[in-house]
Amino acid sequence: MGLPRLVAVAFTLALVSIFLPLPFSLAGEITSIESVPDLQKLMYVAVDGYPCVRLLNLSGEIGCSNPGLSKVVAPLIKLKDVKDLVEPHTVLVTADEMEDFFTRVSNDLSFASKIGGVLIESGSSFQQKLKGLSPDKMFPQAEFSPYKNVEYKWNPMASSIMWKAYNFPVYLLSESGITAVQKFLSKKDMKHKTYTSDVAEFNMVMETTKAGTHNSEACLQEGTCLPLGGYSVWSSLPPINVSSSNNRKPIVLTVASMDSASFFRDKSFGADSPISGLVAFLGAVDALSRVVGFSNLKKQLVFLVLTGETWGYLGSRRFLHELDLHSDAVAGLSDTMIETVLEIGSVGKGSSGGINTFFAHKTRVSSATNMTLDALKIAQDSFTSKNIKILSADKTNPGIPPSSTMAFMKKNPQTSAVVLEDFDTKFVNKFYHSHLDDLSNVNSSSVVAAASVVARTLYILATGSKDTSSSATSSSALGSIHVNASFVEELLACLLSCEPGLSCNLVKDYISPTNTCPGNYAGVMSGEPSSNPYLGSVSDVSRFLWNFLAEKTSVQKGNTTSSCSKGTCSRTDQVCIKAESNKEGTCVVSTTRYVPAYSTRLKYADGAWTILPQNTSDSMGMVDPVWTESNWNTISVQVYTVQHSAYDNAVLVAGITVTLLAYIGIMVAESFIAKALKQD
Amino acid sequence: MTVAAGIGYALLALGPSLSLFVSVISRKPFLILTLLSSTLVWLVSLIVLSGLWRPFLPLKANVVWPYALLVLSSVCFQEALRFLFWKLYMRLEDVLDSFADRISRPRLFLTDKLQIALAGGLGHGVAHAVFFCLSLLTPAFGPATFYVDRFSKVPFFLISAIIALAFVTIHTFSMVIAFEGYAKGNKVDQVIVPVIHLSAGMLTLVNFASEGCVIGVPLLYLVASLTLLHCGKMVWQRLIESRNQSGPTLR
Repeated sequence: MGLPRLVAVAFTLALVSIFLPLPFSLAGEITSIESVPDLQKLMYVAVDGYPCVRLLNLSGEIGCSNPGLSKVVAPLIKLKDVKDLVEPHTVLVTADEMEDFFTRVSNDLSFASKIGGVLIESGSSFQQKLKGLSPDKMFPQAEFSPYKNVEYKWNPMASSIMWKAYNFPVYLLSESGITAVQKFLSKKDMKHKTYTSDVAEFNMVMETTKAGTHNSEACLQEGTCLPLGGYSVWSSLPPINVSSSNNRKPIVLTVASMDSASFFRDKSFGADSPISGLVAFLGAVDALSRVVGFSNLKKQLVFLVLTGETWGYLGSRRFLHELDLHSDAVAGLSDTMIETVLEIGSVGKGSSGGINTFFAHKTRVSSATNMTLDALKIAQDSFTSKNIKILSADKTNPGIPPSSTMAFMKKNPQTSAVVLEDFDTKFVNKFYHSHLDDLSNVNSSSVVAAASVVARTLYILATGSKDTSSSATSSSALGSIHVNASFVEELLACLLSCEPGLSCNLVKDYISPTNTCPGNYAGVMSGEPSSNPYLGSVSDVSRFLWNFLAEKTSVQKGNTTSSCSKGTCSRTDQVCIKAESNKEGTCVVSTTRYVPAYSTRLKYADGAWTILPQNTSDSMGMVDPVWTESNWNTISVQVYTVQHSAYDNAVLVAGITVTLLAYIGIMVAESFIAKALKQD
Repeated sequence: MTVAAGIGYALLALGPSLSLFVSVISRKPFLILTLLSSTLVWLVSLIVLSGLWRPFLPLKANVVWPYALLVLSSVCFQEALRFLFWKLYMRLEDVLDSFADRISRPRLFLTDKLQIALAGGLGHGVAHAVFFCLSLLTPAFGPATFYVDRFSKVPFFLISAIIALAFVTIHTFSMVIAFEGYAKGNKVDQVIVPVIHLSAGMLTLVNFASEGCVIGVPLLYLVASLTLLHCGKMVWQRLIESRNQSGPTLR
């Protein structure tokens, strides 16, 4: 080829290559890869979500886990496409298919063996589609019921799926997780699908599976699990003088609980059950804190927020046990002085047509419960807007609904208590103990109404007089008790959503939260249980409640507030609040204490937990499953594309072939050149 | 994609270079040195270029002409460096020849000079393959694979290995052409090397288009084959010439 031709060809190629890309459309989404870690991030897509973990009790396990010690890698498939699978797959299940799916897995072993892992898709659109979803039982915690009818269906939407054991990992996808997985699945129409498959890799190895300990006793002995529990908080209004044992007034105990549960450990807001009750409780405390002259009233108000109630009424049982022991945690209280109990259960769904209706479930007929019911009626009537109705529960109910009061009743059948709920004969919360019981499932006006009526009821009970409606001063005092509605709404957003979540100003005023998203799951008891615990082991919500209640129930003695930097105050009747958010806290006069909440069957000694033998005097301990949670290292899920091994081997063979062909070519060229040189 | 595929991709890109190294280069230590120094020179050229282009990076991903400018400037710089490399080699050749005269040994044969040029070219090619393909290959040894949106038929690693192989071929043989062209003052050979390098570089821009690799990669291999053919023809001609020249003296 002569020079001109060669140059012409080469230049044409160069020009063509410059102008060729222009008429083509450059592909849309261009993610630039600037380094090998960038490439790896694009290859292995991390999926965000919430896991279902392994929980154990005395007789076995529930929950989910990787079946062995290694990661689970299984190809993705949608549930509706599942037909005659040969190897285990990762099934993508939508929220409305969830209950049927898990029921089928429990009943059909051959189907279960084809399940490698499960990804649950539950966007906000599903809540409207679903009639109800409750993975709990028909009668939650029926073994603790003080009455015999344990077949009664309090929770009609129940499917009981959270109480079964599954031998595969289950992961609830968050919004971003759903997008990531959908992006992978939408690539199905690409041409390379015949020799690749999209897989999900689950890293959800539970330590109890690794160690082979499959019940609470074994795993606590091996140290591969920790018992469920937390710290309950109680506070009295006005503060109790612990040293003087005279002039102890009868106590009106108001109870709420702060823990919920769901199929997924970290997505259990428990909005209606029980956090709506907790928020109403706090709204009432806030309203009552603005009332003067509490020390002149006849009765003592004590506020108690329990945790661990979902897992065998750990909070209430331990509280009652501590009362028996007259321990430091409950110094100033004594169970003989508790005259009546008012429990605030689910109150978030009482609103209908502008009227808020609540039901008062009483434990038994007694003068104390009648007093509470009368007080509720008076409080109801004291509102000029007349939009609150308190009705007595249906007499055909077998007894009180599942609540902490059941534990109080089992301990002492003579307990006079009233449980305030937004339902009568069965739960109106269609998402009881599910991940869908979130802020959209409660009505803030219902919570405000409940808080208002409870605040006034407690005031009436504290005055101890039946004749408050006639007295002019007390009715005006009653009328001045108002719940701050904006406070209630802010608190709902703090405890039941991730934005602002626990980073909201209200909570940050009292504590420095470790997480933004409130996880209302009770969690595990880490470290030694004590009435003066190491605050790093106490959950954000418990610490917030302690600081909040301490401030609201405090009295200013002489208007001098001193600061405390190390969490201790000079006077014994003072506590140091807000020591986390501000560097220096404030000392206030208040009786507010932590009470550890853990099973009465457990004992902590020498850095380990042991299970105590059954004790006939502790009837609830006899039926306590003693729940523990397996330890786990990291939990993560990622999705990536995998080539079939035939393709990989073909590439290897191609590489070897090219190398060998090149070698042969070089040998041939060498012999040619040698020949050319030797030819004479 | 596993270890098998990772090794496969590495062999696709560098297997022929390995064969060439084992069969030709490894026999003479001087060729190994030439290869290493040539690799170093190429890498240094990349460092200098990246230093020059640093203020303008990162380039916007959906506009082509900055990339064309980048390729053009890089090719011009590397061709200039190739000429300097040849100048350095000429000095070295003089030194070697005078040393050979002093110890009454034969001077460098044509084949020796061609082999040195080949080693130089291979050094450039290996550096290119290592830098643009091998360095990205670590994730290929893991379980996952990767497909680029703009070409979804073939994994990213496979395409990168195939393109690297083409460039190894182009660099290796164009150095031979260039050295002979500069030595003999042959204008065709002197011009064709930069032109081949530039067109190969520009052809990779075709891959920007959606499914552009279908056109870009075969055209790249066309350029590589042209390089190989031209080199082969040129070497054959030189060998015939030298045999005719030295023929009468050998008898």
